[in-house]
Amino acid sequence: MAPSATTTGVYVYGVVRADELPALSADGVGDAAVELLERDGLAAIVSRLPDDFRVKRRDLNRHLQVLEEAFGETTVVPCAFGTVLASEADVETALLSERHPELASALARLDGTVQLNVKAAYEPDELLRELVAKNPDVARLREESIRLGDAGHHQRVRLGELVAGLLDERREEDTARILSTLSGVAEDVTVDDPGEYDALKASFLVKRRQLDRFDARLEEVARSLQPVVRAEVIGPLPPTAFAGAAAAQ
Amino acid sequence: MAIATRGTSSNYLQRAPSPSGLADVLDVILDKGLVIDAFVRVSVIGIEVLTIDARIVIASVDTYLRFAEAVNRLDLSQTETAGIDELRNGGSKGKRKAEGALEGAKEKIPGMSSDKERSR
Repeated sequence: MAPSATTTGVYVYGVVRADELPALSADGVGDAAVELLERDGLAAIVSRLPDDFRVKRRDLNRHLQVLEEAFGETTVVPCAFGTVLASEADVETALLSERHPELASALARLDGTVQLNVKAAYEPDELLRELVAKNPDVARLREESIRLGDAGHHQRVRLGELVAGLLDERREEDTARILSTLSGVAEDVTVDDPGEYDALKASFLVKRRQLDRFDARLEEVARSLQPVVRAEVIGPLPPTAFAGAAAAQ
Repeated sequence: MAIATRGTSSNYLQRAPSPSGLADVLDVILDKGLVIDAFVRVSVIGIEVLTIDARIVIASVDTYLRFAEAVNRLDLSQTETAGIDELRNGGSKGKRKAEGALEGAKEKIPGMSSDKERSR
């Protein structure tokens, strides 16, 4: 990569082993060509940023596509979106040389693994109908607030508060159930903040040879929670949620 | 890859090889991955904006009142097909409204609108 006067910085997607260099054809962030910078047996997947570069929403997809392409061929330690270093020299020294030990151990830990993102979302109407059916207080407050109409503000707030509390309890139970079902077939898990009607949002690090068993268990727990819960699994993905944890070990 | 071909998506478990929507992409790449020390990092115009923007929570509306509204909208009898259809529509309408709020918030941030057409 020749130095250029108009280069704003070097965008870094992730790190691979230099002896397992992936062939990369996807366009990078800002439409730039994706290249590899080698040092000490490691290689950073990078692209140069044009002068006055402004990040756009499609660059989120570009970042992921480059990682997916590399991940399709070899083990990759993904960098966070928006990782930009000042120069190629910085990538070689501050990243590849100085952090060589943790990058090497991260690569070893991530070998043969994939990330699966699981989201278990409540079907709002199914969930609420169940809450009304099982909780007399919810049913009573519901009737009162409907009967009172505009005058029932107080009842509506209490109803909503009650429902929110019951939803939290339910979420806690379901989260524990899903996690305990899947933890035996996963190497690691990171749990994200769930959305308002989500039971669980989590990323699992799974050995490729465990994929079938993971899928079977997920199928089983999803079936047991239907129709109140609808589950979704995305992957195999590059292990973005485990690069930091892997590198820290 | 293997998991995409295994089993078929049922109504209780959907399988996708790769994230399709913006929200799913954000889940995978935002605040995830190796972090490099700030002193060697360069700030690029827009990255902070895009990151902050993606963190905007839809919780600006009174959550309790929305729960109450959703419960009151339920047709508990479930006897009329029309009622159930209405429920389904009502449910998805609520979701659309929330998504609209998030989109709206994004569009108010400078630098985000130029890419709007490409991402839809």
